[in-house]
Amino acid sequence: MQTSKGQLGALGAPAVLFTVAMIAFPVAYTLYLSFEAFSSTGTTRFIGAGNYTRMVNDESFWNGVVITFYLYILSLVLQLFFGTALALLMFRAKRLPGFVRSLFISPFMLPPVVAGMMWLVILDPSLGAANYILTSLGLPPSEWLASPQWVVPTLALIDTWQWSPYVALIVLGGLQSLPPSVYEAAEIDGASGWKRLWRITLPLLLPTLVTAMVLRSVDLLRFFDLIYITTQGGPANASLTLNIYGFRTGFEFFQLGYASALMVTLSVIVLGVTLALNRLRHIVAW
Amino acid sequence: MSSLANRPSDRLIAVLDVVLLVAAGIAVLAPVAWMVLSSFKQSYEVTAYPPTIFFQPTLDNYRSLSQTTPFLQFGINSLIVTIGSTALGMLLGAPAAFVVSWTRITWPAIVTLVARMAPGTLFLLPWYVMFRQFDMIGTYSALILTHAVITMPIVIWVLLPFFDNIPRSVFEAAQVDGCNPVRIFWRIALPLVVSGLAVSAILAFVFSWNYFLFALVLSNSDTKTLIAASFNFIGEGSTNWGGLMAAATLIALPPLALSFVVQRWLISGLTLGAVKG
Repeated sequence: MQTSKGQLGALGAPAVLFTVAMIAFPVAYTLYLSFEAFSSTGTTRFIGAGNYTRMVNDESFWNGVVITFYLYILSLVLQLFFGTALALLMFRAKRLPGFVRSLFISPFMLPPVVAGMMWLVILDPSLGAANYILTSLGLPPSEWLASPQWVVPTLALIDTWQWSPYVALIVLGGLQSLPPSVYEAAEIDGASGWKRLWRITLPLLLPTLVTAMVLRSVDLLRFFDLIYITTQGGPANASLTLNIYGFRTGFEFFQLGYASALMVTLSVIVLGVTLALNRLRHIVAW
Repeated sequence: MSSLANRPSDRLIAVLDVVLLVAAGIAVLAPVAWMVLSSFKQSYEVTAYPPTIFFQPTLDNYRSLSQTTPFLQFGINSLIVTIGSTALGMLLGAPAAFVVSWTRITWPAIVTLVARMAPGTLFLLPWYVMFRQFDMIGTYSALILTHAVITMPIVIWVLLPFFDNIPRSVFEAAQVDGCNPVRIFWRIALPLVVSGLAVSAILAFVFSWNYFLFALVLSNSDTKTLIAASFNFIGEGSTNWGGLMAAATLIALPPLALSFVVQRWLISGLTLGAVKG
């Protein structure tokens, strides 16, 4: 029995060692770095909470917090709405041809970087197809990613295009696991379609929706690839999320200590939102 | 049911449903189709305004891609890093998933969720300092090690339910016969989860291939992956949209093709088991 335990330990040990070396130690090291200042020669010195006091007084930091949450909430609302609507349609259609599922997988399996390259061309302010469609419909063209005012909504739209189908497939899974008896009972009671949706289906779906929210929140709060490939935080810092700001502080200006403080803060935000949503999941569970 | 469904208003709703579904399908597909179409356009046609839908297709963009950029070298780099990190993730993750399933000690698996939740830059900062110390920046090893942080948790969380589905009596019988855990893992458990191994390998491959951030900092011009090299293509893209779209199409091809293969398991894999697809 003792050797059996030892052997199990041996099977698990490589993964544990790797996790310690590549995940646990680096996280601890970032925490340590966030209390250090780097000189141009690469030496470090302890500056206590210096990076954090600098952060609190840094306008770019607060700008980053606001943009992060603006982009997060806008994207989350849009993709929950479109994802749920798409799932309800797919659920009602019953016999969907097999290729439909493959079709709806393709956006979120596309590398985000490729999605960025693709939309850069479509949304080009002067020659892009999007503005051609707008103007032929008699609408004014948009500067899209080149406009400080529209860059965040545009990024949210691109992300919504990419991830609504993912939300839809999660919600569809939830719909399919609802007991059919609740629908039958409602139908016999003569409840109208809308009433059934609002009073029965959506409340029963809440746990699934919260799960989808948790999964999307983790990605949306640390939104990186799409922004970095398209705008790098511009124009005029209008899409400089906390994550992009932290990255550029670290790897363009090589202020590794300050960048660490920013990343620790962002991680705490992600963790806090995840824990809050998890609590919500327990509340809405049935 | 049937009498209700035949009311005219219900039939109208059914038609409306189909129309909306088709519209959603077009909205999803059109941008990707536009990317692929543009990659086959002549340079004067790709920036034509108004944009053209019908045109004489050409392979020029794909041909010039290999002449004007080290596309092939980037592709080989991507394959080395992706296959290396998938293999490493499988080697580390498969036995770990087996141990978690056997012992029900879940905290090591939960720790790997940190890798899924934390922003990549949180890891990249200390890695950068560490790899600089060991003179490893720009090496394949650094890229494979860091991408394994993406692949290992995927392998663990995808394989876990496959191991859990093996009846405990199978292991108990093997133990009575004098089999030790290592032997049970190799000879009994692994052969029973072959499909799980395939799914986890494919998902790990896709996510490693698509990953942008680590290679952005830790690679150099010789080891750059296709995804990290995207900036090179965009730089030229200002004048050469056809080439940019050809590059985008080629980069997207492996993950798209592979994810169709595993689409049945995709959702449960992507949600780390939180949702059964």
